[in-house]
Amino acid sequence: MFHTILFYFFAIVLIGAAIGVIFARNPVHAVMFLVLAFFQSAVLWLLIEAEFLAIVLVLVYVGAVMVLFLFVVMMLDINVEEVSGGYTRYLPLGVLVAVLMVTELAQIIWLRSTPGISAAGFASTPDGYSNTKALGAVLYTEHVYAFEIAAVILLLAIVAAITLTMRKRPGLKQQDIAAQVAVRAADRIRIVKMDAVKPDTGSEP
Amino acid sequence: MIFGQFSPAAPEITLLIMICIVLIADLFVEDEKRATTFWLAIASLAVTAWAVLASAPDAHTLLFDGSYVSDALSQVLKLFAIGTVAIGFLYARDYLRQNKLMKGEYYLLGLFGLLGIMIMTSANSMLTMYLGLETLSLSLYALVAFDRNSATSAESAMKYFVLGAIASGTLLYGISWIYGITGSLQFDGIAAAVRNDAINSMPLWFGMAFMIVGIAFKFGAVPFHMWLPDVYQGARTPVTLYIASAPKLAALALILRILVDGLGELHVVWQGMIMVLAVLSLVVGNVVAIAQTNIKRMLGYSAIAHVGFILIAIFTGSQDGYAAALFYTLTYVVMAAGAFGMVILLSRKGFEAENLADFKGLNARSPWFALMMLFFMFGMAGVPPWVGFFAKLNVISAVLNAGFPILALIMVLASVIGAYYYLRVIWYMYFDAAEDRSVFQADIDTRIVLSLNGVAVLVLGIIPGWLLTLCINVIRTVY
Amino acid sequence: MIGLQHYLTLSAILFSLSIAGIFVNRRNLILLLMCIELMLLAVNFNFIAFSRSLGDETGQVFVFFILTVAAAEAAIGLAILVVVFRNRRSINVQELDTMKG
Repeated sequence: MFHTILFYFFAIVLIGAAIGVIFARNPVHAVMFLVLAFFQSAVLWLLIEAEFLAIVLVLVYVGAVMVLFLFVVMMLDINVEEVSGGYTRYLPLGVLVAVLMVTELAQIIWLRSTPGISAAGFASTPDGYSNTKALGAVLYTEHVYAFEIAAVILLLAIVAAITLTMRKRPGLKQQDIAAQVAVRAADRIRIVKMDAVKPDTGSEP
Repeated sequence: MIFGQFSPAAPEITLLIMICIVLIADLFVEDEKRATTFWLAIASLAVTAWAVLASAPDAHTLLFDGSYVSDALSQVLKLFAIGTVAIGFLYARDYLRQNKLMKGEYYLLGLFGLLGIMIMTSANSMLTMYLGLETLSLSLYALVAFDRNSATSAESAMKYFVLGAIASGTLLYGISWIYGITGSLQFDGIAAAVRNDAINSMPLWFGMAFMIVGIAFKFGAVPFHMWLPDVYQGARTPVTLYIASAPKLAALALILRILVDGLGELHVVWQGMIMVLAVLSLVVGNVVAIAQTNIKRMLGYSAIAHVGFILIAIFTGSQDGYAAALFYTLTYVVMAAGAFGMVILLSRKGFEAENLADFKGLNARSPWFALMMLFFMFGMAGVPPWVGFFAKLNVISAVLNAGFPILALIMVLASVIGAYYYLRVIWYMYFDAAEDRSVFQADIDTRIVLSLNGVAVLVLGIIPGWLLTLCINVIRTVY
Repeated sequence: MIGLQHYLTLSAILFSLSIAGIFVNRRNLILLLMCIELMLLAVNFNFIAFSRSLGDETGQVFVFFILTVAAAEAAIGLAILVVVFRNRRSINVQELDTMKG
């Protein structure tokens, strides 16, 4: 019973957050709603004992990807008035599409589903089962090929993002690591020998 | 035999190693000597082609716990993809140099895209297919936006990205349903599960419909084609050449592996959806192409029409049909590479020969290259004896054998309409006066390869037998 | 008792909302990108729910890869967005219509 209440609570907040993402007028608010949606999802995944992905979602998605979104929104300094408005024209169409799709999907899930779906619950995992360990065991054996491709995709993303956004313009301050390493103390500080001088404390009469 | 037990995957491993070498080497190449990167990229392609021939088995071989498959189909598609990418790199070189775009990243992203294509052709599970597709798509998005100072390039890259990402999401939603119902991500596992009637029901078809929408988006089939003409027009011509050629081979692998390897049992269910997409693509592609004045955009709509032919061949669900689809795709890729190669040849520093009018009087400027363009246009229009004719004939005969005479009629009519806009280019070249008379600036090796490409379209049409036999044998061994 | 069907329905609602969001926010690129993230979240819900009910970890491994790819995709998408903005000083989709035909 407690489980059910938790599910409905987080599910409703999740749907509310998703609606917030769609209708937010300010992009920063939209990103914040999306963060909320990700947090709710993480909790819902925890409820069905998919702990590893729940944590990854918060760490990687909220921690890195959403921050990247926020960073870009703030960097571009988008004019809120310029962006918002105008969505009301497509609003009826959007609502119609959403309602139709939910109806059809719900019909398929509840009325026309296969026995495999309608009877299925989530059997609780045996004692001593570790979700992370189980995923790790298959990730590096059965799915090692996919794992390598994912590494390639990340490399590709680095190359692509740098190609598109890095600019060399005059006056740009850049780090020259070789020069930093090669520098000697003598180049940077000059030691000046001076006689010790007593601070001039005496006051002139 | 290289890489020990992983030897069947040698092509992908080799290409990845070469990509890393190009990536590092490019750092030390100065801007004026960027040709080094070009030759390194060509060398990478040659080594990869050797790896395909030397160690990828033709017989059905599984690797990596069944997520990788090497068979005759993957071998043929990989070799053609490597070949077209090499041709594309060569055609692009002079253009990039003249327009001050000669950067190592063009070649690097092109090689990454090729890696994605190779992963897709050898995918035996939904997971591998998805990751290969993303490797390809992400490199294409970046390639389209490659010219950072062009507002049109950026605009079309954004459109491509948004629609491509929506397509990936739709495809994934479909995959999740198929996984949930069949309990497997590998195509053989899915095929085995689908034979069980208990699960062959509404939710499974539903997941399949989402997947077909995703595939149609990636293929550029009507009504999911909105991105294609804009991307063809907006991207710089060497990038358009890349998008128009090798990724079509990957799209064929995507549809064959998923719909035939995985869901072949559901042929009756997906047949209808594929037919609608195919007929719409044929009609819309050919009719809208007539109204275009930009040749890149026109070739974009023509690509949509060609996709219609490929989809109809797959729709038949017969071995003949699959062989015809393979033959059509292989020959189309050769013609598309050549046609965009001509657009590049006519362009020069600060000038894009992207309007149909730029082809006016080409015969007076260079009779030989006017003849080559004629070969490409006749090939695409399906005029005998150029190769496009046999490609279309194969598809039509497969459709007739499957018992759909009305479809065959639609295909013939659409081809006749299509012939109009190809012939218009030829009319411009031979019967109109030239508006500009500048000399082509392409190097001798580009000219030779472009000529060979044009001659190949004719020669393949005169002796299509060996390629046709090859396609039929490949399909027989796989299905 | 909360079963597979509840999770699938929740995922279906999220997916439909993301599609609706794409229709409604046709003008704003950054909101479009966020709707795509929402769509992937719906897909992840499906995979995790199916994976847990089948007792098979493969679905969760798939989610792991979707998260990885989505991060890469977001990086490239935002890079393209920055290029668009630098060229046009705007990310309004309706102004992106120089090509017609």
